Amino acid sequence: MMKKFMDRFRKKGRQDVRMWHEHPMKPAYDAVIVGGGLHGLAAAYYLGRDHGMTDVAVIERRYIGYGGSGRNTSIVRSNQRSKENIPLYDEGLKLWPELIGELDFNLMFFNCGNLNLAHSEAEAAGLKMTVATAQIMGVRSEFLNARECKELVPHLDITHRPRYPIYGGMYHPPGGTVRHDAVVWALARGADRLGIHIHQLTEVEDILVEKGKVTGVKTDKGTIRTPLVLNAAGGYSPTVSTMVGIDLPVTVLPLQALVSEPLKPFLHHVVSSGRYHAYASQSLKGEIVTGAHMDPWPSYTTHVTAHYMKHQAEALMDLMPCLRGARFMRIWGGLTDMTPDMAPIVSDSPIGGFYLDCGWGYFGFKSAPITGRYMARWIATGNCPEILKPFSLRRYRNYNLQRETAAVMYYTPWN
Amino acid sequence: MSFLLTCPNCGPRNIYEFRFGGEVKTRPDENTVSAEDWADYVYLSKNVCGVQKEWWYHAKGCGTWFAVERDTRDNLPVVKEENEG
Ligand SMILES: Cc1cc2nc3c(=O)[nH]c(=O)nc-3n(C[C@H](O)[C@H](O)[C@H](O)COP(=O)(O)OP(=O)(O)OC[C@H]3O[C@@H](n4cnc5c(N)ncnc54)[C@H](O)[C@@H]3O)c2cc1C
Ligand SMILES: [Zn+2]
Repeated sequence: MMKKFMDRFRKKGRQDVRMWHEHPMKPAYDAVIVGGGLHGLAAAYYLGRDHGMTDVAVIERRYIGYGGSGRNTSIVRSNQRSKENIPLYDEGLKLWPELIGELDFNLMFFNCGNLNLAHSEAEAAGLKMTVATAQIMGVRSEFLNARECKELVPHLDITHRPRYPIYGGMYHPPGGTVRHDAVVWALARGADRLGIHIHQLTEVEDILVEKGKVTGVKTDKGTIRTPLVLNAAGGYSPTVSTMVGIDLPVTVLPLQALVSEPLKPFLHHVVSSGRYHAYASQSLKGEIVTGAHMDPWPSYTTHVTAHYMKHQAEALMDLMPCLRGARFMRIWGGLTDMTPDMAPIVSDSPIGGFYLDCGWGYFGFKSAPITGRYMARWIATGNCPEILKPFSLRRYRNYNLQRETAAVMYYTPWN
Repeated sequence: MSFLLTCPNCGPRNIYEFRFGGEVKTRPDENTVSAEDWADYVYLSKNVCGVQKEWWYHAKGCGTWFAVERDTRDNLPVVKEENEG
């Protein structure tokens, strides 16, 4: 059996079984995408699939999925707070089954539902407003009282013992988790098959601009001429924007996540609590996947801290006392490009041919394929799709911030 | 890599005692600034990947505001700056 497989493997040749291939870098491409994360790969894939634009290069400094795309906790949902944001996430959530078929890759979409807890009457009122918005937009979401929360997730402690007793929760049945690495690999393979070049271990060092228009990018492996550049550099999107003289309303903060040793299946939903700054789900392997602490000062380090491990252990044990004694197995950090209104920047820019798909903070995994699809349409046609209009960079100058938070986030002592 | 920050008043302390107070920027003249320039001042940051000058506040300590140069790649403070009481 093994021999037969190996023979076939040898006959086909190593190149054929690889999911994506290496190519020499061409001196010019129709479009260059900076960043081989999910947003960049998705845009590349849909440029090829929907618009026949296959003379496209994805430039990745390290390896694809090195950024947030390979470090996130894989939660997907579409119960955002504002009516401008919900349509994109809603379409994005509905896209997973389609992608699994189309890319012929098991993305392990597990629509187990999300339960977001409230710990006071005021928090409950806020969640009820979010529930109402979702319902008006046709997204399944409902408010549960504490007893109903416990029926859904029996291991929750709904007594008055926890520091912040559970008051109720926002239940969103269609959300869940998706295997993030698989999405990276599937989109890369899909783009590769369309003829798109993925250049790993290649760093964009500068972007060339003439008369207000992009003309090329300078990489450590040579210069590429191109009239179109997409900044999909995640945590490094401010660095890349600086290359064309654009400052972004972004603060780059490191975010940490943890997984426990594998446990018997007991948690069948994604449970989250803003008050505890914690969320958890159980992977199909049995590990409790949990986040997320953000160090409230900017840095480009992907450090992990004892401070956070302690915080997380305390929060999880308070919410679900059965976790006492469970051991953490791994911890890691990633960069988040946070905006003041917790909504992304999917936008054109004052520089002709320079587009932005960034500012996704700690919530940009779930929306990557759908955003790439619309971004590709924008790049290929030059017309901004209606669904992306709320996310323009201009909204900050126009004092028209998105309403994803009740108050503007500004990473200072006052929040 | 460091998790210490030096308060001009208290000396080196655990960085979790502090709050980040934003990048040091030049505040525009409020009487003449345009609405757009004010928005830029409020929202835009440089996010230097390297050494940048920032405001910090010793929130869980003496309450001092101070400016410091810090390397955002390893959290190491570079030079201590003036103390703005
Ligand atoms: C711990 C953690 C948990 C998270 N959990 C969730 C979650 O549960 N759900 C959710 O929806 N989102 C989550 N997120 C957020 C999500 O991971 C990101 O928003 C998303 O991955 C962003 O994708 P991206 O393609 O924009 O950027 P990235 O995946 O960061 O990709 C950017 C790429 O650009 C490359 N790059 C940077 N500079 C250059 C350059 N100059 N030249 C070439 N390449 C360059 C980088 O190496 C990187 O690979 C989480 C994030 C973290 C860190
Ligand atoms: Zn002090």
